[in-house]
Amino acid sequence: MNGKQGAAKFAEAALPTLSVVFFLTAWEVFVRWRGIAPIFLPAPSSISFYLWRMIADGTMEYHLGVTLLRIFAGFFIAAATGIALGLLMGMSRIVARVADVWIAALYPLPKISLIPLLIIWLGTGEAYRIVISAITAFFPIVISTYSGIRQADQGLMKAAKDLGANTRQIQLKVVIPAAMPSILSGLQLGMGVTIILIVAAEMIGGSSQSGMGYLLINSGQVMETEKVFASLVVLAVMGAVIIKLQQWGDRKIAPWVAHDDR
Amino acid sequence: MDVVVEDVTQIWGGERTQVVALDRFSHRFRSDRFSCLLGPSGCGKSTLVQIVGGLEQATSGRVRIQDPQKGDSQRPLGADSVMVWQNLNLFPWRNVIDNVAFGLEMRGVARNERYEHADVLLGSVGLRGFERHLPGQLSGGMRQRVALARALIMERPILLMDEPFAALDAQTKIVMQEELLRIFDQTHKTVVFVTHAIEEAILLGDEVIVMTARPGRIKEVIPVNLPRPRSLEMINTLEFGALFDRAFHLIREEVTAAMAQQAEMVAGH
Repeated sequence: MNGKQGAAKFAEAALPTLSVVFFLTAWEVFVRWRGIAPIFLPAPSSISFYLWRMIADGTMEYHLGVTLLRIFAGFFIAAATGIALGLLMGMSRIVARVADVWIAALYPLPKISLIPLLIIWLGTGEAYRIVISAITAFFPIVISTYSGIRQADQGLMKAAKDLGANTRQIQLKVVIPAAMPSILSGLQLGMGVTIILIVAAEMIGGSSQSGMGYLLINSGQVMETEKVFASLVVLAVMGAVIIKLQQWGDRKIAPWVAHDDR
Repeated sequence: MDVVVEDVTQIWGGERTQVVALDRFSHRFRSDRFSCLLGPSGCGKSTLVQIVGGLEQATSGRVRIQDPQKGDSQRPLGADSVMVWQNLNLFPWRNVIDNVAFGLEMRGVARNERYEHADVLLGSVGLRGFERHLPGQLSGGMRQRVALARALIMERPILLMDEPFAALDAQTKIVMQEELLRIFDQTHKTVVFVTHAIEEAILLGDEVIVMTARPGRIKEVIPVNLPRPRSLEMINTLEFGALFDRAFHLIREEVTAAMAQQAEMVAGH
């Protein structure tokens, strides 16, 4: 390896981190130099101090834990029902026809617009938050599952038939594995919207007074801007970790799919 | 097992635009014979093997599988044959050994037993040590061997091959042809091999069935009396050259006809 290549490698490895460090330093210096009020824009150092304090006294863990539980509850309901209906649609033309009408009508509706109705019906407790996120995540999952099944390679199905597979075996051993990459990408989309909807629902009608969304809106209302930023940092990290874990899981489940992301 | 094809006609499309892919094709593919179907693209040769394999329904005509001694097979069409596909159709999510053992798995054979069996076949096609690889991790030639082993494990008397080597590079193709010749000499199956390569057809086949351009009919059946075991050196013999010339002239007429047809179709649109 010559020097030039080595420098390029080093730059590739270090520059992303350096850019973050540079950004934070510039922020810190800017806030201190201009004497900006923390209520408007706190310095990274004081944000991290607040973050540490919230972790130390357990508030952050509590709210994060509650939010995570809600996210997974909503996501699993959406995944189970979405995959089940998608599979049924893929295997029965009648189910597909009927479900298609409903999906076409309900999918384009912004799910947040259902919040008032759901609050009327379910109140502002756990049920409302989990239902709104599950409804939202349900659609991308069901659509991806169905399209994955419909796009299953005809050649593979013929080959399986030729090798003695019956209709049930073809569905179980060929069609569903073939649809797997599409189902997994549906689950990724579903997880994304679940996170958004849970946090949003925690901000609106927070009778339970818990969760990251509540923490954010509450800190904002009492002008504790440091806590707002600390919560945002935690939310960002949480989202990134969930997405990375999901990508790692996808590679374990479907290692035959070429992944472009690193 | 003989494959007796009688007046098979295949018409694609609806009421307005009908394409006759096969027109009253009749032939007896004999047991222990390597028969090559040679023809320009679009002559219906792939359609024919799919009909023989029970994977397509012919518009009219019929296919019988016949034991020369015992008479017609009572099993459904396709039960006595197995196909090797041009695009292989390996299951990308299954590793090599699970691809090879697929047919046994569908039959309900226990895992140990089917792995044992698959291992023998992997050995015979030179793929030991790659059991746990996914098809996507293998080269084209190795994938081709997996496809071959997956078909051979079925131990069906009729082997249908739809341009199996068309996508391989020249060197790999030669190796695979030799491999197939060796396997044929050992197993003695009824082989129906579709190709558009004249040299390949003569090198492998006991007979070369030259087909016409669309609609596919038999133009001529060329018997190939080169001795077995065959080897690649035979390509340089006079007999091979004579057979090649004969097939080449037949095929040239048909390719020219096919091109004229296509030009007409383009002009017509």
